[in-house]
Amino acid sequence: MAKPVVIVVGADKGGVGKTTVARTLLDYFSANNVPTRAFDTESPRGTLKRFHPDATEIVDMATTSDQMKIFDTLNSSSPSVTVIDVRAGLLSPSLISLRDIGFLDAAKSGQITFAVFHILGPSIASLDEIAETANFMQGAKYFLVKNFINNTSFFEWDQATYNSYFHRIKDATELTIPKLNEMAYEQVEVASVPFLKFVANKGMQDEAANYSFVLRGYVRHWLANIWSEFDRIKLTDLVGSGKSGARGGEK
Amino acid sequence: MRHTPVYIICSPRPLVGKTLIARLLSEFLLLKNGEVAAFDINLKEPSLLEYLPAITETAEVDDTFGKMTLMDRLIVDDGIAKVIDLGFHAFDEFFKMSEEIGFMKEAARRGVAPVILFVADTDRASARGYPMLQQQIPATALVTIDNEFVVRGELPPAFAHGRTLQIAALPVFLKTYIDRLTFSFTAYLRNEKDTSTELHQWIRKNYLSFRELELSLLLQRS
Repeated sequence: MAKPVVIVVGADKGGVGKTTVARTLLDYFSANNVPTRAFDTESPRGTLKRFHPDATEIVDMATTSDQMKIFDTLNSSSPSVTVIDVRAGLLSPSLISLRDIGFLDAAKSGQITFAVFHILGPSIASLDEIAETANFMQGAKYFLVKNFINNTSFFEWDQATYNSYFHRIKDATELTIPKLNEMAYEQVEVASVPFLKFVANKGMQDEAANYSFVLRGYVRHWLANIWSEFDRIKLTDLVGSGKSGARGGEK
Repeated sequence: MRHTPVYIICSPRPLVGKTLIARLLSEFLLLKNGEVAAFDINLKEPSLLEYLPAITETAEVDDTFGKMTLMDRLIVDDGIAKVIDLGFHAFDEFFKMSEEIGFMKEAARRGVAPVILFVADTDRASARGYPMLQQQIPATALVTIDNEFVVRGELPPAFAHGRTLQIAALPVFLKTYIDRLTFSFTAYLRNEKDTSTELHQWIRKNYLSFRELELSLLLQRS
C-alpha cells in the first residue's frame, strides 16, 4: 500500500496566501489524478471548504477528536494525500501537537511522507518563523513559499540577515508563487470555484459558466507557472504517483 | 467551415499607415459583407473612430477591464469580421496579453481566425517587434504590410520571408485628399465615373489584395 502523505500549508502570520496555495495544490493533484482529501482549520467557516467542498472537511486542530479524525485515518482512508490548510497563527502549535502525538517521529522513521509548505510574509517575523519551524523539520520536506499573489515585495531587508536564517535550514526548498492579475483573482473569488474549473469555464457542478476569456487566460497562465514550480520540486514523486504525461486541466 | 476573421493591424512605430490600412480594410469588408466591427486602440494617433464612426468603437488594453471588454468580443465566432487598429503604444501590451491568455489557440478552437497585419518600417523597433510576432503567431496568420509610402524601397530582408501585402505609395496631393475625415474609399469608387484615375486604380488594387488575402486564408484552412 502506498505510504500516506501529509502536506501542511501554513504560516504563523495571517494574510500571506495560505489558502490560495492550498487551493493550487488541490488543483494540481486533481489534474494529476492523485486522490486527495483536505482539512481546513479555519473553523467554523473555512475558505478552502468554499472552493473545494467535496474534498474538504473543517476541523479544529486543537481538539483531540479532530486530530484523531485526521491522523488516525491516514492509513485507512483511500486518498493517499492529505492537505491541511492551517489557519494563521496555528502553524507552530500544530507542529508541536504533531510532535506530541508521535507523528513527526513516524515521518522521521519513514512511515509517513510529511511536507510543510511554509508561506512566507514580507516581514522579518517570517524569518523568525522559519527558524522556529525548522526545529520540527527533521524527516519532513520543508518548502519555503514566497507568495507574490498579493503583490508582496520580499526580503527587502538586509540579504545577509536573510541568508543567516535561511542557511540554518539545510534541506529547505524555496518556491515562488507568482502574482495573479487582481481582477482575475477577484472573479475566481466571486465564482467560488477551484482555479481549474474557472479555467475550464465551469461552475461548481461542472455546468457551463460564462467567465471572461481574458481572466480565464490569466488564471491559466498563472496556474501553469505554479504547476511548473510543483513539477520542479517533483511533487508527484513526493506523493508517489510519478509524473503524469497529460494533465486533465491542461487540455 | 468559415471562420470569423479578426484583422489586427499593428506596428511598434507611429505614423506608418496603420489607420489608413484599417480604413481601407474596414471599408472593403463593409462593401463585401455588409457589416464589419472596427476597434480603435489608437487614441494617441490619427484615429479610425474619426473616419468611420458608424462602425468603430474605441477599445483599450491599458487595464484588465479594457482587455476583457475587447478580447471577450474578439473571441466570439459571430461571423462578423473584426478590424483592430492597434496603436504603437499598445503594441507590446496587446501581444504580451495575447500570449499570456492564449488568444491564438483559443481563437482556433472557437472558429475565430486572427490575422496579424504587421506594417513594416526600417527602424529598430520594427526589427525587434517582428521576431516577437513570429514567435507567437503562426506564419500563415502573419502578414507583413509593405507600405511604399513608409518603406520607400526594398522591404528589409527580415520581413520578406513570410507573406507580404504591398500598398503602393500615392502622390502627396492624393494622400492629402484621402486623409480628409469625410473621404470614403467605397464612395469614391461608386461616385467617380472615370475608372482610370490613379486613386480609383489604387483603391481597386488594394481591395483586390484584401480579397486575395481572404481567399488564401480560406484555402489554407480548408
